[in-house]
Amino acid sequence: MNIERWDRCVPVFNVPLLTKPFKLICALGALALGLVTYRELSGLGPASGMNDAYAWGIWKTFNIMVLTGLGSGGFSIGIAAWIFRRHRLHVVMRTALLTSFLAYASGLMLLGVDVGRPWNFYWVFTPWRWNLHSPLLEVAVCMPTYAMFPLLMENVPPVLDWFHKRRPQFRPLIEKAEKVMYKFYPLVVGLAYILPAMHQSSLGALMLLGGNRVHGLWQTPLLPLLYVWAAAFMGFACVAGTLLFCSLVWDRPFDVDVLSEMNRITAWIIGSWMFVRIFDIVIEGKIGLAFAMNIYAGLFWIEMLFLGVAIVMLIDSAKYKDARLMFHAHLVAAVGGMLYRFNPTTLAFQPKPGAFYFPSAIELLISVGFVSLAIAAFVWAVKNLAILPAPTYSWYQMEAREQDAKSGAALTPNYAVTDSNILL
Amino acid sequence: MSKPDFPEKQTIGKSLKNAGVSRRDFLSFCGVLMVAAPVGLSLTQKASATAIANAIGQAKKPSVIWLHFQDCTGCSETLLRTSRPDVASLILNVISLDYHETLMAASGYQAEKSLRDAVEQNAGKFILVCEGSVPTKDQGVYMKLAGRPALDVLKDIGSKAAAVVAMGSCASWGGVPSADPNPTGAVGVDQIITDKPVVTLPGCPPNPYNLLGTVLEYATMGKLPALDQFNRPKFAYDRLIHDHCPRRAHFDAGRFAKEFGDDGHRSGWCLYKLGCKGPATHAACSTQPFNETPDVWPIGIGAPCVGCTEKAVGFRIPIFQTVDIQRVTPPEALPLVHMPMGSASTVAAGLAGLIAGGIGGAAYMAASRLPGRKDKNPPPAPSSDDTADSSLQDVGGK
Amino acid sequence: MALSRRDALKKFAVGSAAAAAVGSTSLVTLSGVAHSEEPAPVAPKNAVGMLYDTTRCIGCQSCVVACAEANNLLPEAMKLGDGVHLTASDLNSFTKNIIKLYKPVDGKEYSFVKQQCMQCVDPTCVAGCMFKGLQKDKNTGVITWNSKVCVGCRYCEISCPFHVPKFQWQGFNPKIVKCELCKERLAKGDQPACTSVCPTHAVIFGKRDDLLIEAKTRIKNHPGKYHEDRVYGETEGGGTQVLYLSHVAFENIGLPKLESESVPRKYLKWQKRVYSYLAVPAVLYASMVGVINGNWKKHQEHMKEDEEKTGLRAQL
Repeated sequence: MNIERWDRCVPVFNVPLLTKPFKLICALGALALGLVTYRELSGLGPASGMNDAYAWGIWKTFNIMVLTGLGSGGFSIGIAAWIFRRHRLHVVMRTALLTSFLAYASGLMLLGVDVGRPWNFYWVFTPWRWNLHSPLLEVAVCMPTYAMFPLLMENVPPVLDWFHKRRPQFRPLIEKAEKVMYKFYPLVVGLAYILPAMHQSSLGALMLLGGNRVHGLWQTPLLPLLYVWAAAFMGFACVAGTLLFCSLVWDRPFDVDVLSEMNRITAWIIGSWMFVRIFDIVIEGKIGLAFAMNIYAGLFWIEMLFLGVAIVMLIDSAKYKDARLMFHAHLVAAVGGMLYRFNPTTLAFQPKPGAFYFPSAIELLISVGFVSLAIAAFVWAVKNLAILPAPTYSWYQMEAREQDAKSGAALTPNYAVTDSNILL
Repeated sequence: MSKPDFPEKQTIGKSLKNAGVSRRDFLSFCGVLMVAAPVGLSLTQKASATAIANAIGQAKKPSVIWLHFQDCTGCSETLLRTSRPDVASLILNVISLDYHETLMAASGYQAEKSLRDAVEQNAGKFILVCEGSVPTKDQGVYMKLAGRPALDVLKDIGSKAAAVVAMGSCASWGGVPSADPNPTGAVGVDQIITDKPVVTLPGCPPNPYNLLGTVLEYATMGKLPALDQFNRPKFAYDRLIHDHCPRRAHFDAGRFAKEFGDDGHRSGWCLYKLGCKGPATHAACSTQPFNETPDVWPIGIGAPCVGCTEKAVGFRIPIFQTVDIQRVTPPEALPLVHMPMGSASTVAAGLAGLIAGGIGGAAYMAASRLPGRKDKNPPPAPSSDDTADSSLQDVGGK
Repeated sequence: MALSRRDALKKFAVGSAAAAAVGSTSLVTLSGVAHSEEPAPVAPKNAVGMLYDTTRCIGCQSCVVACAEANNLLPEAMKLGDGVHLTASDLNSFTKNIIKLYKPVDGKEYSFVKQQCMQCVDPTCVAGCMFKGLQKDKNTGVITWNSKVCVGCRYCEISCPFHVPKFQWQGFNPKIVKCELCKERLAKGDQPACTSVCPTHAVIFGKRDDLLIEAKTRIKNHPGKYHEDRVYGETEGGGTQVLYLSHVAFENIGLPKLESESVPRKYLKWQKRVYSYLAVPAVLYASMVGVINGNWKKHQEHMKEDEEKTGLRAQL
């Protein structure tokens, strides 16, 4: 791959869809769906390791509470682009929105698997039945609304582009639809920021009701704020890491300037987050807990270590345009954020003495499988739709390849300047 | 008047034989004695009924003088109430009942003379069995024997006895006459006789085998059976009714009769809520049936135990008032307040490790292909059939 | 010096952001002031409950049997499928009431403890339940579960400070199971099954106020007999309708140390303030839309320019 400037979004055109890794990912997803049937028939007990003490397992605490944090790229990058006017980030918006949508979709589908009596969920449409004080209600109303309305709408343009290009008969219709959409676009985009702000913070508010059974280093009235703030930097980390990884596996040019800007923003968000977190702990007089000789202090310091190191790596890699370090930095930042959002739900949550939880094999497979489904959908989408950013000349390369394919000329493996290997 | 003709002191075995009690009947009596007094009676420590029979058979018939005080004669009646064999004949051939107002033929002056002679002839060797409480108020005028207050009679005759046995609750601790307000100052025999041990056999009435066991132990082994702190023989009084009650399972399961005649009562459920004093009463009624017939006792017929053997319970605590349960030991089978919950299956742990390792490995391999700082270390030329597991693209360490 | 349009827009954006921040902070503070006047929830007038005295309990488990019978939690439910009956080691989907034993290793003291729903005055489970699947009766204060609206999310299970609601992990029609003070029997004027069979009256039923008086009378008449000379549940966690008198430390019989402010009241304070009338979200939304609108127009201009420059269709 080489280092260029991203101007527009271009589909992945140099790699077929059904590669071996892709088939493997689909197989994992299919396995998960099969296991879901087992869960539906025999109940949650046999299909998971959840018990009466830890009634929430990784489906809720990880796939939803953690992965939708990672899937907050649409939210945080969007705010950076649209509200703080970081124009250069617009070119990565589609990637961010797609990752967000798939993270939310797979999370919400798994939520449907996780609840014990899903047939009663229709009460979500009856406001008179709502318990307005419940943070979980806020999540249950806000998350699906967000995923199915503003986020979905924001993901529609690539689809419209595809139809516009491939089905000329729809062009007038599409242009009319776009005009209508553009009229209300700011309203939709505003919703796409206020709704995740609400439900990502409500995800944090969920563990408030754990009271003093959530360890003091995590339990704080600022939990909702810290959760949504963490979602902000996790979204950046996820999207930047995705972009780097996609550039790698599909041999696409990447834009160090955009990535450096993302690095700096991420570092700033993490830094301010850490400041607030530590300040809150000190103000509440809990700093002593961080120096106790127990696993909770250990978890806290691991978090701080990951995130502190991430800041350094982010800034350093931005300065030296070091792609390898960038990838590591975003990985470390993402892991740190995931750990923070996971801890108060499970590792730093002791519901009663003697309680222990570890997900069962089936539970793990379903969790991984749903993530695989999201990845498979992502791969399918970026290979067919213009989502991933690229320089303008990539577009011309794509069109040239299409011409060759149509005219029957021999297809060279790829049009990239440097030779690389197709991984995905 | 001529001297009464006491039968010669025979051995018990000869006496029984003369009375026509078959060996078989006698052996079965010894068997009953063994069962009735499983522990605490050195007599029955012997291995078999035969051995007991031999021991008893060779013992000399002890002389027994039986005095009645403030009694209802129930304790005498209890001796006569058996089904098979006729314990009356057994008793009268096992002990030499030299004076017994209810059973003897004599009366009036003849009776008085009988008592004097019996005491004279067996002085220092007879067992004094007392039935009924002794009034102490107003110099004991409330019960007189031939014009003498019971208090004096007891002191007199008791001083000449080898051993004293208080038969029944009244003689043991005062019994019914001592119930509030105890107008006669009724007390047990052991409050009067203080210079020698008084074996108390409380009960209203007690099981006849309690007396038999005590007497035979004395006659054959020459000593009194092991006694508890109230001088009750341990072989009969060391257990609570509750601990051996046939209805205990119902108590443990929470099945209680709540009213006489209700379904629970008809089903034979525990009578605790109707005021059964079993949990506070030491007696052997639950294991040693009256009339040698099981269920011929209050609880057996659905009447709550009134605690007739216990001084603090019988005729003191109202019949239908519940008592506290003593001697609660927690069973080992209850769950602890905090039980461990949840575990990790090896398969799951392995799988989780595999996933984490896979992601971490993929991330590392991917990163190594990215160009480093100023391309100082260009990524290695990749091989042609690399099939890295890139199942999760963006994060590691799950 | 005239402001360029760029600078003006920039200032507008910053100004809007500042306004939004100030606006929402003041709204939150205002609603905070408003809400801080809210009194703590109290038990309903006819609140009923139970008083359990560990010094009277003999561990006979009659209450466990009676509860199982009254609630149709039959032994069949306990079988593992191979004919083996399970003895419950904790409250679970077929055990609404259980007797546990506290017996430390040195065996110097021991106590039985009866565990069931504490019928809290300000229940955390009710506060968290999305569609009011768990509701507190306004008259008696008994907390009951409604199968018609429960989604099976188990939020009640993780939020209850006493770990009471239990989920049926087997089968495809799972319920949340917990003591409901035998509400059918209460409706008939009877008392709950457990209190009606206790042979020693270790657990008794009555109005919460009466039970508090009884508990305090016992404490007064036997000073030093009861731990800390107080009744657990009078103020713990905002108060519970099931009260405990214990001769051993409360933590030892599984009763957690709780503040007198209930969990929902203490921990959901800021949630309530921020979402009050949805004012804060509305203000933030309005200001965001304002900013985005300004940038949107600019973005559309850029898109047109790019389209003209490259000849390729603009991408949003």
